[in-house]
Amino acid sequence: MLRQALLAGVEAGLDRVLRLDPTARPRLARLAGKVIEVQGRAPDLHLFLLPGEDGIRLAGHWEAPADCVLRAPLSSLLRLATAHDKVAVLHGPEVELDGDSSALLDLAEVLQDLELDWEYELSRWLGPVAAGLLGGQARSSGRHARQTLESLKDTLADYLAEESRVLVGRREAEARFAELDDLKLALDRLDARVERLIQQAKPTA
Amino acid sequence: MSDPRKAPDHEPTTHFGYQNVPESQKAEKVAEVFHSVAAKYDLMNDLMSGGIHRLWKRFTLELSGVRPGNRVLDIAGGTGDLTRQFSRLVGPAGEVVLADINASMLKVGRDRLLDKGVAGNVAFVQADAEKLPFPDNHFDVVTIAFGLRNVTHKDDALRSMLRVLKPGGRLLVLEFSKPGNPLLSKAYDAYSFTLLPLMGKLITRDADSYRYLAESIRMHPDQDTLKAMMVEAGFERVSYHNMTGGIVALHRGIKP
Repeated sequence: MLRQALLAGVEAGLDRVLRLDPTARPRLARLAGKVIEVQGRAPDLHLFLLPGEDGIRLAGHWEAPADCVLRAPLSSLLRLATAHDKVAVLHGPEVELDGDSSALLDLAEVLQDLELDWEYELSRWLGPVAAGLLGGQARSSGRHARQTLESLKDTLADYLAEESRVLVGRREAEARFAELDDLKLALDRLDARVERLIQQAKPTA
Repeated sequence: MSDPRKAPDHEPTTHFGYQNVPESQKAEKVAEVFHSVAAKYDLMNDLMSGGIHRLWKRFTLELSGVRPGNRVLDIAGGTGDLTRQFSRLVGPAGEVVLADINASMLKVGRDRLLDKGVAGNVAFVQADAEKLPFPDNHFDVVTIAFGLRNVTHKDDALRSMLRVLKPGGRLLVLEFSKPGNPLLSKAYDAYSFTLLPLMGKLITRDADSYRYLAESIRMHPDQDTLKAMMVEAGFERVSYHNMTGGIVALHRGIKP
């Protein structure tokens, strides 16, 4: 019963998140009837996902056969849950897929494309004016945080490459790589020329 | 003038909670109970079980093996908890029949499902579990959740369910049962016979109906007896799963 309670809780949370994207449920409805079995390793985890128009149902056991079976270490499953590019994780070497993989890929795409409308959810609780103000503030703070992060990244890169000389700068590295490429081409040409001279020096029969 | 409900002296009796009543009167008395509680049935279920009845039903769905296109019969479906989930699982190509002997419960269930937008693949039928009005070999899955203990002739009902199931189809009986732990059993008794009627009195103003529910649970066959009854009725591979320490058990049998 504990597992049932846990799955019911996760399902309810997932449902709330899916409600924030109005396009998610119609897309999930197209997957109705599909059963996706997830077998996690290290530690063992067995889960069934049943997408449908009212969300994704989770089950610890399902008697009907699954359309698609996903086997992967738990670390890969966690990466799958958190990664933005879920399809790339599914194509990883440690992930095995059996059966109708399109069902799982379609589900992964729906989750990947989620665009959560937090402002709408806030407006249901706080009203449109307060939600608009909070949303505007959050967007402005987010923009500021992103700019600060970008600026910090550039400054740190400059410092490490130009000031402390711990790392080679990008442009400097690119120039060296270009020189190495030229050198490799010159060597190839020299090799071909020597080979041709050897062929010419050989006495003809 | 004679009481129309008075049974002839030779009529066999059955239990109605802890009382013995003539068999012909049990269905009517059970109907009175459910007419009385129908409007607040969901609220009371949540209060009485602390919401755990939803988890018991989740487990029932997991063991049902229902797939798209299946035909499902939800007997004593009441307010439609299982029917709603089955409707989603069988999809537009399938069909779910919500059957209940009690018109009030059926009406509450139908209104509730329509309010939730569940329509198209759901039919509502007022039917007696002992004489199911469906063809032989018709359903892939038959469920009866918290209903069998109210049926007068349980053997007849099980045979009727077997008849309407397709060969290979499965019956799921979710019902209150006997806790395995004596300590849990004592606590459960104390809860059922004191707190439960009190809640019934406060919420539905009907303590007697909830006292009947507690008594009917005690009079219901235990896990092994019900399993034997299902085997006797003709089911194969009969097994049961105890939930919440045996307070509730889910029996499953397959039609050969």
